[in-house]
Amino acid sequence: MRQSNIGWLFLAPATLILFVIGFIPFIYILYVGFFDWNTNAVDPTLRWAGLQNYRSLVFDTTFLNSLTRTLVFAFFVVVSELLLGYVLARALMADRLWGRQFFRTIHTLPIVVAPIAVGATWRLLCVPGFGIVPYYLKLWFGIDYNIATNSYHAFATAIVMDLWHWTPFVTLSLMAGLTALPKEPLEQAQIDGGNKLQIFWYVIVPMLKPVLLTTVFIRLMDALRSVDEIWMLTKGGPAEATRFIGLHIWINVFPKTDYGYGAAMSLLTLYVTIVLSWLLFVAMTGRKGGAQ
Amino acid sequence: MNSFVKAVGVGIISLGLWSSTALAQDSWWKTAAQPYQGAIIRGVSESTPASKYVEQVLGPKFTEETGIKVEFEATSWDQMYDKAIKDMEANTGIYDFVYIEQDIVYTYLARNFLVDITKSLAENAKIASPDFKPENFTTFLNYFKDPKSGDVMGVPMEAFIKPYLYRKDLFDDPAIQKAYKDSTGADLKPATTHEEYTQVAKFFTEYGADKELWGTTVQASSSHPAAFYEFFESVAPTFGVYNWGIDGTTFAATEANGGQMNSAAAKKALNYWIDLLKYAPPESTSSTWDEVAGTFAAGRAAQGLVYGENAAWIATDETKSTVVGKVGVALPPVEAGVMEAAEAGKGYIGYYDGGAFGIPHSSKNKDASLLFLQYIGQASVQTDWALAGSRIVMNSTYDDPKIVDQDKKMNGYYTLMREDGKLFAGAPPFPFHSQVLQVAAPFIYKAIVGEIKPDDALDQAATAAEAELVKLGYRK
Repeated sequence: MRQSNIGWLFLAPATLILFVIGFIPFIYILYVGFFDWNTNAVDPTLRWAGLQNYRSLVFDTTFLNSLTRTLVFAFFVVVSELLLGYVLARALMADRLWGRQFFRTIHTLPIVVAPIAVGATWRLLCVPGFGIVPYYLKLWFGIDYNIATNSYHAFATAIVMDLWHWTPFVTLSLMAGLTALPKEPLEQAQIDGGNKLQIFWYVIVPMLKPVLLTTVFIRLMDALRSVDEIWMLTKGGPAEATRFIGLHIWINVFPKTDYGYGAAMSLLTLYVTIVLSWLLFVAMTGRKGGAQ
Repeated sequence: MNSFVKAVGVGIISLGLWSSTALAQDSWWKTAAQPYQGAIIRGVSESTPASKYVEQVLGPKFTEETGIKVEFEATSWDQMYDKAIKDMEANTGIYDFVYIEQDIVYTYLARNFLVDITKSLAENAKIASPDFKPENFTTFLNYFKDPKSGDVMGVPMEAFIKPYLYRKDLFDDPAIQKAYKDSTGADLKPATTHEEYTQVAKFFTEYGADKELWGTTVQASSSHPAAFYEFFESVAPTFGVYNWGIDGTTFAATEANGGQMNSAAAKKALNYWIDLLKYAPPESTSSTWDEVAGTFAAGRAAQGLVYGENAAWIATDETKSTVVGKVGVALPPVEAGVMEAAEAGKGYIGYYDGGAFGIPHSSKNKDASLLFLQYIGQASVQTDWALAGSRIVMNSTYDDPKIVDQDKKMNGYYTLMREDGKLFAGAPPFPFHSQVLQVAAPFIYKAIVGEIKPDDALDQAATAAEAELVKLGYRK
């Protein structure tokens, strides 16, 4: 069979764009990571630092705390959104649910709100002294809720805000996946006497795995690079309680103009993200690589 | 035929006269702007009352007069910096003029971001307005001059001190005065010492327990640089700790090396300031400069240090403020000897804040922008601008009858600024402003939320600041 090279011609523009906006900046960041470079230094030029930036990262408690905090945040939001999203997907698929379309629309609305607006809105809801959340928590439960002084309150609020914003995405994805499932295996499992839990675990989950994998990957990536919502909600505070890694890198690269160190942090974070994704892939598929 | 010729003749003469009159009426601005007709200049600034006046009034007026369109973006403080600096670093030329806050000007100068206005006007006399006279400005202009050449690098657009505002209605209330006397044994008056300030704050917090009233504002956001600024630029100087406690020649921050950031005076200051949180409304740990002004305007605090740019609207604008006509103004409380040092020019008691508009080297419309900067630097536009933004950058503005009248409504804010402005100072001339802030501020945040003690916070902040200065190459 004669192979045509015309396909490469069609692919060329996209490949070129990817090369320019993806590969070149990546190589540049890799390069900068080996230098000491701060444009506000007495000597603002690039000075070779070798692996010093990476060596410093290993002992940088602020960076390590930020990274750990981000991983904990990502774990909580991804797991919670998956569970909540599945329950909501099943609920919104139920034929007997009155006003199903209406609820589905309302539930989906947060996805279209810009992250910066989500953060600003939640900040207004939660600001001590004025916000309705602290007001009612105090009135109903006697809780002195204050995201500006209590680390746990701030962290929990960041998680709840993320759940509110992104659970609908998980719901929609799972609804699409569930709707596309073939009926026969489910009916067969029922005939074979499987209970609901068994059917869910041994029939639905394996069939839903491609959708689950995609959804979890997307949400994991998003959670690991949360910046704008958190910035608006807490500015990374109180103190450093919600200074997630994206925010920490931003502070080092822009206000501090510590480009070399910022580049090293970005690359290490990218590496952690890739490793996590690979582990997740292996855990969910039982395979070490390759396409599904 | 004759009458037709006469009519045509008269018509031509009339047209000639009309056009010559019209030309004579063209302003200098229109003539000078002729080569730039249709140009669009873009600016970015912090969303302050003074900036909003530029956006809503001066920009459109300039466009009307010159045909040069002004697109003005008034945004948050951090966004403003982010956008302006990225644009200047990358040389993209998105902005033709940028807001230069007094504390960032040294960084911009060190990085050669700005166009030399004096030099540019000297080189292009056609666009040098006879109405733009740098000598008309107050000494605040000096902050925007190149220290080497003395050339003007930015046109001041706002300047204000951070005074001590108090609720005159409460302080003058005989019943409250009696209650205060009964409670403390002292007369109720604006505080002149830190002990008095704390006592007043404590009293009003107890008095206002059921009235949504607290004793003081505190600009103590637990995650925003505003807290760092309030402490190092407004509170620490009243304890005799200047320039953030960093020695300007050796760049030492720790007391061990000759700095003052963790000195006994600085620690006393931070303990005092953190202690005030007990007498401040719950939003104080989320408050930046805007929220502090909002808290005071909402009548939730009896006293506080409030940036003067907000003083006018708090004292006079009933649509935004619940304390119109109730605002008193005074100098901040100080430790013994600090006032004398400030009067002798050896220290200062608070922050003289403000900013200017400058032209980035990356601008693609430098001449049109120079025209705009001169336009807003005329004496004739200053009064209404001052009324809208409680900012004064020219000496002549103080004497304008409108300002004198507003000064009465504000219980002497402008008089205080004019007579005692010399006791206040701008930020230290450090080009590493943002870098030190980013490493030292987290310890102040930790002290605010109680994660560490104020003394430890300053020890750690000073060590971190000094390490950063070594890393930047300022300190060997």
